[in-house]
Amino acid sequence: MTEVNVAQRKIEKYLQELRAALRALPAEQASDIVEELRSHIVEKAAANGEMTPVAVDSVITDLGRPEDLASLYLTDDLQVRALASRSPLLVLRSLFRWASLSFAGCFVLMSSLLGYFVAAALVYSALLKPIHPRTAGLWMIPDGADYEISLRLGFGAVPAGSRDLLGWWIVPIGLTVGIGLFLLTSQCGLWCIRWLRRASPIATH
Amino acid sequence: MSVTTAKAVPETSDKWEVQVRKGCLELAILAVLWSGRLYGLEILRRLEEGSALIVPEGTVYPLLNRLKAEGLLASEWVEADAGHPRKYYKLTAVGRRRAVQMAEFWSTFSANLDSLLAPLRLAPLRPGPHGKEER
Repeated sequence: MTEVNVAQRKIEKYLQELRAALRALPAEQASDIVEELRSHIVEKAAANGEMTPVAVDSVITDLGRPEDLASLYLTDDLQVRALASRSPLLVLRSLFRWASLSFAGCFVLMSSLLGYFVAAALVYSALLKPIHPRTAGLWMIPDGADYEISLRLGFGAVPAGSRDLLGWWIVPIGLTVGIGLFLLTSQCGLWCIRWLRRASPIATH
Repeated sequence: MSVTTAKAVPETSDKWEVQVRKGCLELAILAVLWSGRLYGLEILRRLEEGSALIVPEGTVYPLLNRLKAEGLLASEWVEADAGHPRKYYKLTAVGRRRAVQMAEFWSTFSANLDSLLAPLRLAPLRPGPHGKEER
């Protein structure tokens, strides 16, 4: 095998790993990125005449590991899409990726999960009130000498001595507060993503 | 890429310099594209020639990708004589406006900071002949 062949193989291996790491992106976008980097590697490695394996190695080292490179693309991509669509799923995915990079990201992700969870519980208990009128709602349940406030979806029996705090009011209140909290969580998530983008334009190194 | 953010370990001045470079990179890219379209490697070479912006190559391509996604840059593939196609970037109208805004901000900001730094330049701790501090 000639030197040039070995060099070509090294390039293919690197680009294959990059493509695998970019699989979360639409195929067309991933190809575009891979081809651009192929162009970069080929041109830079052949800058001093014929391409050698040593030259390819050096260019590839400068670019960084394929996973790290891909992760920069994916973080940016998710942030741009989350900001554009405001979909909670994208907000969470973006925050999840951020969480894997930093402590602050972890905290924001946890808070957002909690926000969405409580919002969903409020909306569910409001929606289930007409189906389980006697058991769904916001209940105060005795717990030893103490009380605990609990949102119940209406499945199973209510423990003795419990009090339904809101009655039918859970329907308008649960829906309003639940949806409000849902929107607020999305807004806070997006605000944090924007803040992250200002704080470090391209993830971190 | 390390797991911790650069912000979490701010002790060394090296970290600070990396952050400053990174922060300026976006403006520097818009600036090198001001006079016409360039492809990735050309952009990298201009950055290295024209400024102390020695940045990891792996950060420039994702940044170009993001600037394009934000509508500041447009790109096109061009078949080159070299035998492989090259992806050229150019500023969009939005990108031009943004570059001018950023340049204005930078001028004001750096002038203000400079006046703030004036007393430090008279301090006894002078830079040595190789730009390193002598203690």
